[in-house]
Amino acid sequence: FLVSVCVVWLLCVSVMLCSVCTAPVCTNAQVGCHAVSLNNLFDRIIQHSAKMHRVSNDLHQQFELHVLPSRNQVGRGGHICHTSTIMTPNGKENAQRMAREGLTQVILQLLMAWTDPLMNLHHSSTNVSVDMSSMVGELRRGVQRLAEKMHTLGLLTDPDSSVVSPEALMTSHPVPWRLMNLYDILYCFRRDSNKVHNYLRILKCRIVPEHGC
Amino acid sequence: MFTVDQNKLLSCNFNLLHLHFRIDLLNAHSAPLFVCCISDLYLLVFSPPAPLEPHFTDCVSREQETFRCWWSPGIFQNLSSPGDLRVFYLKKESLSSEWKECPEYIHSNRECFFDRNHTAIWITYCMQLRSQNTRYINEDDCFTVENIVRPDPPVSLNWTLLNVSPSGLSYDVVVIWTPPPSADVRVGWMRIEYEVQYREINTTNWEALEVQPYTKQTIYGLHVGKEYEVHIRCKMQGFSKYGDFSDSIFIQVTDIVTEEPLMFILVLVLGIVGVLILIMLIAITQQHRLMMILLPPVPAPKIKGIDSELLKKGKLDDLNFFLNGGGFGGLPPYAPEFYHDEPWVEFIEVEAEDRDGGGKDDSLTSDTQMLLGLTQTGCHHINLGCSNALGFPNNNLGQTSCYDPAVLEANSLMLMGSLLPGQPEEEEEEEKEAASFNDIKRCPTSAESDENKHNPVQPTWINTDFYAQVSNVMPSGGVVLSPGQHVRTQESSSTTEEETRKKENIIETEEKKQTKLLVVNPEGNGYTVENIRSPPPSTSVSPTEYQTVEPSPMSRSHGNQSANIVPDPPRCQIFTPVADYTVVQELDSHRSLILQPPPPPPPPQQSLPSCVPLKVPIGYITPDLLGSLSP
Repeated sequence: FLVSVCVVWLLCVSVMLCSVCTAPVCTNAQVGCHAVSLNNLFDRIIQHSAKMHRVSNDLHQQFELHVLPSRNQVGRGGHICHTSTIMTPNGKENAQRMAREGLTQVILQLLMAWTDPLMNLHHSSTNVSVDMSSMVGELRRGVQRLAEKMHTLGLLTDPDSSVVSPEALMTSHPVPWRLMNLYDILYCFRRDSNKVHNYLRILKCRIVPEHGC
Repeated sequence: MFTVDQNKLLSCNFNLLHLHFRIDLLNAHSAPLFVCCISDLYLLVFSPPAPLEPHFTDCVSREQETFRCWWSPGIFQNLSSPGDLRVFYLKKESLSSEWKECPEYIHSNRECFFDRNHTAIWITYCMQLRSQNTRYINEDDCFTVENIVRPDPPVSLNWTLLNVSPSGLSYDVVVIWTPPPSADVRVGWMRIEYEVQYREINTTNWEALEVQPYTKQTIYGLHVGKEYEVHIRCKMQGFSKYGDFSDSIFIQVTDIVTEEPLMFILVLVLGIVGVLILIMLIAITQQHRLMMILLPPVPAPKIKGIDSELLKKGKLDDLNFFLNGGGFGGLPPYAPEFYHDEPWVEFIEVEAEDRDGGGKDDSLTSDTQMLLGLTQTGCHHINLGCSNALGFPNNNLGQTSCYDPAVLEANSLMLMGSLLPGQPEEEEEEEKEAASFNDIKRCPTSAESDENKHNPVQPTWINTDFYAQVSNVMPSGGVVLSPGQHVRTQESSSTTEEETRKKENIIETEEKKQTKLLVVNPEGNGYTVENIRSPPPSTSVSPTEYQTVEPSPMSRSHGNQSANIVPDPPRCQIFTPVADYTVVQELDSHRSLILQPPPPPPPPQQSLPSCVPLKVPIGYITPDLLGSLSP
């Protein structure tokens, strides 16, 4: 009898916990639900971005090692990335000077640009087994949620640069990514993931006041 | 075959030649162009290791905000003077970018420094050396700044002792440091990972610990007495280039102070002292209990089943309860033992000749009567060393109880006799008993003889055989005996009164006595005789057959006439002479004695129509019958 009571109790507890786990993230309309703090959201996104960068780096390294070891990991000739058209800040000061909304938009643009090429890469190439497109997609959704949250909190106040819709961003890519070979894709993705990671860190420092920011 | 390990070292193992050499791919000036295999021999064909022409040796960024490049003229020493070679770079920002000259020369170092304004991250730079008429370009000199970052080493290294092993031979330390000041870690522009390396001084091999992003590291298992050197280097998270090593710090722990064993000894001594004090306290406080445990008192002699303490305390209620077998109204559970252990129980043997009531001529001259002096066989005065008292072997232990001979009357003698059932046939034992009873033989007093004369009815109880079986003990303390050959028919009230009187006398004189015959003479104060006031008719036969002794001092109380243990004459009197004693076989579930089958009872001499002959052999009381005797 005692055993059955314990089992029933455990089931109840697990059900309760699961209900908590599967609780959806609150949207703005819902009242009284447990909302994730901005700091927490930033931390999660930055963690995810770091992981994405690590994966892209490993992929590129493996590729270079087996194909062509280069000294500065640059490879022969320059790489033309399809995301070169996106105007991105190229330094710390530039990124810090950039408006929050602009920075967020750049991040979203970059992430948006990589969803399709990576999906294609995963399906077509047998060398690449890791599905990075899902990672990019998750990160993009996270950043979008972050942008919405910041907007509701009133942090994104610049009326000129609101969050551009995904569809608008997609059309601003003249360079077709289908022409890029595997090497280029890996190189460019590695670079862009590093960009995204750095931008997110700078954004967090600016939005969530921390010691030293 | 060759393998590339994690540290980007190319290892070649040539089976034939047993050559092992490792090539650091990262630091090699050029990478192997191709691999040629000839049978088992793999050849690595390298491009020329060092270009003879002017070339760039290295480009490094320290904090991902600036970078610098160094060049070398190569063999052409005529170009070594400053100004002979010029540095041009191409920043591939757009398709229409052009070569620009180095923004800042440091000729003493042959270095070109790019400050913040000229440094762009994530953009490919290509470097070029130009002499007056030649351009020296190497494709390997293109890079992006984030890939050439080698962070500065950390600063402010320090260490603290974490713990020491119990043996005192090894210890752990925690090394802490701060990030390099040039790296902007707070803003998050750079994420730095650290690699701690340590070695014992004057050895060549460094122990490298795992790369981790925190500014502290624990080093385990350092040995006491040895000096260790520790240094740290940094790299960017997600990148592979390490910076320079920091300045070393030295760790040494000399012989650990012997305070530790002292502490242990001190703690041990204190503990022992505390335990001793505790034991002393326990011994002192629980002295009595300890004495009881260590030196248990010698058990005093006592009748089985009877608690002397109980009687001493005068808890007659408990005693009654106790004697009643815990309220079952039956024989106490120990009843079999009661008889088994007594040596004189063996005298209780059924003899065929004795069953007959008619053949009891011998009983007339039985020992009882002899003892009682009725047959004038003789009597002796008690002489057992008791001062004016009667020595009476009572039980196994051989202890004797002393009775006041003055008190000793036929009644008590009977009691004694009843307690010592004897067997007429066993003459030896008879003699023993007789001999033992010699002491208790006494001449009947004149009063007694008068009584005997006056009251012929009275000595009915004297007529019974001296040896009688005690079948049970009354709750009141009286002893229930089995009847002798001659059954008391009835008791007249006068007898009752006389008995009462006698008993009163007995009681008064005996109340002070401390006897071992606790059954009969309990000393108590408030001893209530719960005895037979009105025995139920069903137990018609039983009551009269029993001789009980009134032990209690309740004679003093008023309404004690009814307290006479002697039951009222029953309505139905069917007396069948039965054997004095039978062998108790066992005790059944109802706590009644199961005896050997009794002899067929002779036809009752007196039969009243109203009586229902008992199935139980006369003379034996069953627990329920006994229970009926008690209120």
